[in-house]
Amino acid sequence: MEVDVLIVGGGPAGLSAALRLAQLQTAQGGEPLSIAVLEKAREAGAHSLSGAVLDPSALRELIPDFRERGAPIAADVHADHVYFLTEHAKFEFPIIPPPLRNHGNHIISLNQFVRWLAEQVEAHGIDFFSGFAAQDVLMEGTRILGVRTGDRGISRHGEQKPTFEPGVDITAKITIFCDGVRGNLTKELLRRLPLGADRAPQQFAVGLKELWDIPPGRVAAGTVIHTLGYPLAEEQFGGAFIYAMSDRHLSLGFVVGLDYSDPQFDPHMAFNRFKQHPFIAALLGDGQMVRYGAKALPEGGWNTIPRTYMDGGLIAGDAGGFLNSMRLKGIHLAMRTGMLAAEAAFDAIRANDTSAASLKRYQDKIDASPVRSELYPVRNVHQAFGHGLWAGLAFSGVSLLTGGWWPVELQGEAGHTRMHRLPPGRGSGAVNEPASNATSVDRRLTFDKLTNVHYSGTAHEEDQPSHLLVHTEVCSTICGPEYGHPCVRFCPANVYEIMREADGTPRLQINASNCVHCKTCDIMDPYAVITWVPPEGGGPQYNGM
Amino acid sequence: MILVVAEQREGRLNRATWEAIAAAQALSAEGVPVQVVVLGGTVATTAQEIAAAGVGDVIAVEHVSLATYTPDAFTTAMRQVVDKIAPTFVLLPHTYQTRDFAPMLAARMRKSLVTDVTGINGNGAAATFIRPMFQGKLAAEVRPQGEPPFLVSVQIGAYRADAVRKGNAAAVTSMSVVIDASAIRQQPDAPFQEARQAVDLSQADRIVSVGRGIKSQDNIAIAKNLATAMGAEIAASRPICDNGWLPMERQIGSSGQTVAPKLYVALGISGAIQHLVGMKGSRTIVAINKDADAPIFEVADYGIVGDLFEVVPAIVNELEKG
Amino acid sequence: MKIAVCIKQVPTREWQPRLNDDKTWIREQDVSYEMNEPDAYALEEALRLREKHGGEVVVCSAGPARVQQVIREALARGADRALHVDDNALGSADAFVTAAALAAAMGDERFDLVLTGLQSDDQGHAQMGVILAEQLGVPHSTIIMEIQVVDAAIRVKRELEGGWFQWIAMPLPALLTIQSGINQLRYATLKGIMAAKKKEIRKIPLPGSLQPAQQIVALSMPTRSKQTQMIAGSPAEAARELVRRLREEARVL
Repeated sequence: MEVDVLIVGGGPAGLSAALRLAQLQTAQGGEPLSIAVLEKAREAGAHSLSGAVLDPSALRELIPDFRERGAPIAADVHADHVYFLTEHAKFEFPIIPPPLRNHGNHIISLNQFVRWLAEQVEAHGIDFFSGFAAQDVLMEGTRILGVRTGDRGISRHGEQKPTFEPGVDITAKITIFCDGVRGNLTKELLRRLPLGADRAPQQFAVGLKELWDIPPGRVAAGTVIHTLGYPLAEEQFGGAFIYAMSDRHLSLGFVVGLDYSDPQFDPHMAFNRFKQHPFIAALLGDGQMVRYGAKALPEGGWNTIPRTYMDGGLIAGDAGGFLNSMRLKGIHLAMRTGMLAAEAAFDAIRANDTSAASLKRYQDKIDASPVRSELYPVRNVHQAFGHGLWAGLAFSGVSLLTGGWWPVELQGEAGHTRMHRLPPGRGSGAVNEPASNATSVDRRLTFDKLTNVHYSGTAHEEDQPSHLLVHTEVCSTICGPEYGHPCVRFCPANVYEIMREADGTPRLQINASNCVHCKTCDIMDPYAVITWVPPEGGGPQYNGM
Repeated sequence: MILVVAEQREGRLNRATWEAIAAAQALSAEGVPVQVVVLGGTVATTAQEIAAAGVGDVIAVEHVSLATYTPDAFTTAMRQVVDKIAPTFVLLPHTYQTRDFAPMLAARMRKSLVTDVTGINGNGAAATFIRPMFQGKLAAEVRPQGEPPFLVSVQIGAYRADAVRKGNAAAVTSMSVVIDASAIRQQPDAPFQEARQAVDLSQADRIVSVGRGIKSQDNIAIAKNLATAMGAEIAASRPICDNGWLPMERQIGSSGQTVAPKLYVALGISGAIQHLVGMKGSRTIVAINKDADAPIFEVADYGIVGDLFEVVPAIVNELEKG
Repeated sequence: MKIAVCIKQVPTREWQPRLNDDKTWIREQDVSYEMNEPDAYALEEALRLREKHGGEVVVCSAGPARVQQVIREALARGADRALHVDDNALGSADAFVTAAALAAAMGDERFDLVLTGLQSDDQGHAQMGVILAEQLGVPHSTIIMEIQVVDAAIRVKRELEGGWFQWIAMPLPALLTIQSGINQLRYATLKGIMAAKKKEIRKIPLPGSLQPAQQIVALSMPTRSKQTQMIAGSPAEAARELVRRLREEARVL
């Protein structure tokens, strides 16, 4: 199949790009462009998860009459609170740090927002192919030709089933990669082209989230709460968010930097501990958890964003790392980079030149846009938090005063390299111990991963090969003694388990169908031997998330 | 008056008929009689069998065109029966045969049919009926609309055949019906049995299911002994099938089969929600697990906290004794 | 052969039940939908019959605008065109209203064969197909595993309880309700999705006078009325007590 512009990924970046292209087409006329959006989820928004508090600046530009068009806004932000938590108490910040002030912003469900955006895109007649995952990039030398979708109908033993359908090559003049945080295609691009050559290493966090129905009257709609401190240690990056979508429906989440040093730390347990804090427990008591999910976040900031333009290709959204970790916002940046990518692509095609030199105009547009003016000043903030909570907060404070000026660019490292090894002599039994931050679960307020995963609605065709590729035999040899099989801890969906052979040798069991597509394993594995590839369909059903 | 439609094949009464009669008795208020109609080629034996139980008068409807079941013939016959008798309710067991003709009868008479009923609230024309919806995730209370007679099919196993209140032997009367054989559009061959390729646990009355607590593939033999002693099928939670210890068709749960047998025995199964959604509709659930906090105990009717390797052989012993 | 396939859009299997405020229906806001599973097998069967005998496969659906999702999917898999009785009331309609709506839309087309799934995964009445047959004036059979076309007639294999089956001969036109799992569902390809955009979906309004045959008074989560009885004692004692209770109380042995 051949198109003019192929957009890979139907999230806020990809859909904004599609919509912007349609608008440019209408406004400027000329030979109609064929545009296609590929989305791996069964329906738009199914894999979209975020807090989320939306900065509407990009939305206002893309769809000025978004309210009239029924954009799903849960609540306008009314009140901001930031708390520092200790195990039993909370201390409110008397002044909300400016980046965390959300007046004028909107609490939304990203899942519903993306569904609505997709409707706008389809209303323009743009092909939105949901349920199709792009498996590989098609390249010729340094030129992006397009993508190849995954084969369908392969059994778990690798044989073709009677329903087998081979993947399809989709070629395009320009491919815009919007495949999300740690996107599998962008990862491939970074490997095959020197896009990250002079950039700082990418850094990530994982966000775990639940939706709760609670008795009314405890918190007003539009309340935004952020917390720092407990249950994370000083050197661990992260914190929580609570967004009141209504007075009886909460979006609740916990973010942990994927750069912690303790291999026996379990981010999901940290989320449980957080819920056990008296303030949170009181908020949720007698309520009901209705949905769960997890997703990684690109935290590294401006200096870690790779080169985003190449022959025949562009990268936008979370795939490029366009997230403001200080404001905890990325949706508006995904939308804006998607729009700018569309503009650059449109101009390049009209000029009949889709080379990297021509597509560099995308970077120029980004540099001239609010994307740079927002991200550049906070480019070192996440790296400062690499030195601990207080260092990070202090640096953030100074940063606000100096407009981000700092004598040096702070260095960061890929998070998985910061994981410490276990003291020698532990053997491989460490995995059988409880996580270092384990707490008891009561299945009403706190949950085990398997119960939580049930509420993500995730399901996959069972008879297919595992989509989590583990490239070496470390699981049965050195990982146990060195790290105690941290995959069992850092995966928030109980995908990885260590079984024992008769002679005690550890064997990795992959429960691939539990996967919620968060990408944590691809990021955090200390040996960097796990590759996440798109399964044949399936994945979470993040309704309302 | 409540009319129950019996089901028989070649002179053998379908046990579910008694369940429908039990439901009719639950539905009938003081003084409201229950009658049972039997359709077939010759139905003397089955009609007598029902009459002997003394649940109500029995109507035998015999016709050559009813000797072999077809929806056309049965609908035509039942229409005449219902028109003549004018019951308030017509109750049938929710069998494959009922599903095949009862909606046709309801549509032809322009009357309401409520299917797959598991409970009844109230008596008389104002009664409401409980039935499952959304694959058992929800229970719906529904009220038939329009005028009686209201047709109701009763879920197999929802009412107990042995709960039927018996009385003095009742009378059997014959009723004749007119059926135009040439108007019957189905021509069925004789039924036959086929060796089933796939395991269909949803048809099993009793299931013994194993989880991680069984520890090894060899130990499944212990569970199989119990299954044999109970006349049950063997099944498993996901980890067992993932290990290849039992075939995937034996898996119960959100990624396997959903079952609701009369008896479900969970051995060494913790009760993760993915498993529970596949079996919590079972009528009687027995759980044996070492861990007193295992979630399986929340849905079990009977629970034993103990070592299944000791308890299960003891149960087999008991069963073989009795 | 002119084949109609009636398909219904239902909440996905992973859907967690949540009720609306007056508990007479589900909360529709966060529901994701898919094609009713038995209907998908009916569609596949229809496509195979068309491949073998020629003709046309027409998808028929009664439901709100959102059912376009499953209509498009059916067209993408290969159906030729569609009829859509479009009305919000049809989202929660009972089997009788659904059948009447479809009958009104389908009557003029004179289909040779109508296939439906044996029941829907949402309300699960298992009535719609049979009522539709009666309203269309065609013979029917239910829970069909296999279809053979012989001249202007069919032979169908019907599933009975307990591993029994039966072949039935019927004239055409006829209606069959199809059992799940009888074939392997083909994927909708990219080409199929593109082609589906050009296929006709004829919209038909809901006839005005349809009265439901049943009314939902209330929906609820099924609750367990029984308490868990823990049986204590040594393995032998517990076993004895358990067997006794299963025999005498629960009467399942």
